[in-house]
Amino acid sequence: MKGAELVIKLLEQKGVEHIFGYPGGAIMPIYDALYQSKVKHYLCRHEQGGAFSAIGYARSSGKVGVCMATSGPGATNLITSLADALLDSVPLVAITGQVSQAVMGTDAFQEVDVLGLSLAVTKHSFMVTDVTELEHTLNEAFTLAMSGRPGPVLVDIPKDVQLAEVQFKPRLVEDTATAQQEFLPAAALEQARLLIQNAKRPIAYIGGGVHMADAVAQLQDFLANSPMPSVTTLKAMGTVPPSNAYYLGMLGMHGTQAANHAVQQCDLLICLGARFDDRVTGKLAAFAPDAKVIHIDIDPAELHKLRRAECAMIGDLRELLPAMSVPTHCEDWLKHCLVMKQQHGWRYDHPGERIFAPLMLKQLSERLPDNSVVCCDVGQHQMWVAQHMSFSHPRNHLSSGGLGTMGFGLPAAIGAQLARPKDTVVTVSGDGSFMMNVQELGTIKRFRLPVKIVIVDNQRLGMVKQWQELFFNERYSETDLSDNPDFVSLAAAFAIPGHSISRKDEVLPALEAMFTWPGPYLLHVRIDETDNVWPLVPPGAANQDMLTEKAQ
Amino acid sequence: MSNHVLTIQTKNQPVVLERLLQVTRYRGFEVAGMEMKPMADFSGLLVTLSIVSDKPISLLTNQLNKLYDIEFLDCVESELTQAEAGSMRA
Repeated sequence: MKGAELVIKLLEQKGVEHIFGYPGGAIMPIYDALYQSKVKHYLCRHEQGGAFSAIGYARSSGKVGVCMATSGPGATNLITSLADALLDSVPLVAITGQVSQAVMGTDAFQEVDVLGLSLAVTKHSFMVTDVTELEHTLNEAFTLAMSGRPGPVLVDIPKDVQLAEVQFKPRLVEDTATAQQEFLPAAALEQARLLIQNAKRPIAYIGGGVHMADAVAQLQDFLANSPMPSVTTLKAMGTVPPSNAYYLGMLGMHGTQAANHAVQQCDLLICLGARFDDRVTGKLAAFAPDAKVIHIDIDPAELHKLRRAECAMIGDLRELLPAMSVPTHCEDWLKHCLVMKQQHGWRYDHPGERIFAPLMLKQLSERLPDNSVVCCDVGQHQMWVAQHMSFSHPRNHLSSGGLGTMGFGLPAAIGAQLARPKDTVVTVSGDGSFMMNVQELGTIKRFRLPVKIVIVDNQRLGMVKQWQELFFNERYSETDLSDNPDFVSLAAAFAIPGHSISRKDEVLPALEAMFTWPGPYLLHVRIDETDNVWPLVPPGAANQDMLTEKAQ
Repeated sequence: MSNHVLTIQTKNQPVVLERLLQVTRYRGFEVAGMEMKPMADFSGLLVTLSIVSDKPISLLTNQLNKLYDIEFLDCVESELTQAEAGSMRA
């Protein structure tokens, strides 16, 4: 068979059911092999959208996402999505066509050095120069994408390799890797247990690494057996159930006041699969200033990178969390955190008739069927979703965390809907973000995907405008989007019905109409341009120095 | 400012030098010297990097050790020569 056929056969053999992509000249042999294949290809309307769909697929399912693009512009259009997957540790395999090796390096049509471009945005990247290496390389790509700290892997395949003849014998049984016995770090675990037992104010700081290690159950057991307050990063929302009384919410720049104050006051910070990101820590030197740190991660490079840990462990959280569990002695601290949680609870008694986005999102959250997936874009609405919606599992909340990529939400929702066809999938977007990958409405139309789209529209690039208001003397440079299109008409052009609302009393009936409609639906929610996200830790400030609405 | 010599054995891949240099630059370390030669059986490359930085060298070696193409990495602290120190300040 030809190399191109081997690519598809290998995807079939690996159990890949869905891939996302866009064809072009240098990848035509692979698309030809795909024709009538068991692998279902979803034609997106832009390669970036296709890769974000693969990311949404991976994040909502725990499987590897796969996307394809042609050489040159097809491959360069993948770059942002690869960077997004790298910073959020998403297992993704991107396959790109490349011009034939005979013309490589001659500035041939649609030739660009994809391997060179990929260095900074992938966990690893391969170029296959000999068809006999193709099978091994693709297998390595899948293994690498999922192993250790997951991430994106790119495989660039020149056209002559796709067309070359090669032997391929499909394996009847998948290789099953023997689980290696992991030796637990006994001394470090003993040190961790002592730190936990002796702590008067311990707190668990939980990151996306917990659910990526498939350790959500172990984490919940740990918190039950070693009671302590917990906070999560944006990526870890849903790891601790909202019913846990000592869960204080998200920490960081737009975290809850209770979460930030508790972390600043703690004497032991147990960092689990998180990385002391600057949006979490605020002023790093003043972050949890009195705390000793236990840091556990699968990636050795994260330990001591930004904060020295008294006790650092590399390993599998599924093994380490049970081994670290000991009774805590912090009753007064638990009571104190409960009081802070009550004192700083959200308020939804916003005056007037106009829609208050936090309340609308709380109502949306309460109306969602169980196990729904919520995809976000980036900006004010993203932070409001994190603050005011509840999640039962981190795979139900897809948000571009590390890279903060506008345009993520709509294509990610497409991937999530395909990965979980029985679950409701909602994308909450802003008017700025939505327009960045709006072309994917065409993909929703083509595949009749019942994605629900909520656009929170303040006719501004709201988060940038908020910073201009607070930190740039109200000089609103290039953040006015008051010439937005009519979003309901735009959706109608793709045969997607919609409705526009601007008053509080319209919210519940509109949500009901959206969720009872059997197909895709767009709900356009007008909000006031003056609404801001609170609290906010100003840049360079310590996390206890949050700005609140009342203080303005 | 400290000076370290990294001795690195890599797979014999054309892109491996770019990877090493890209990670070194991105993580905020400066290359004061570099040598590369293929191993005797051409199965891999031996690369020696002289690195100057005011950051802990582990912040770089931990990142380099994650690279798929790296098979062995050894790090030794060394004296910063007058010439190297001058060239780094230039």
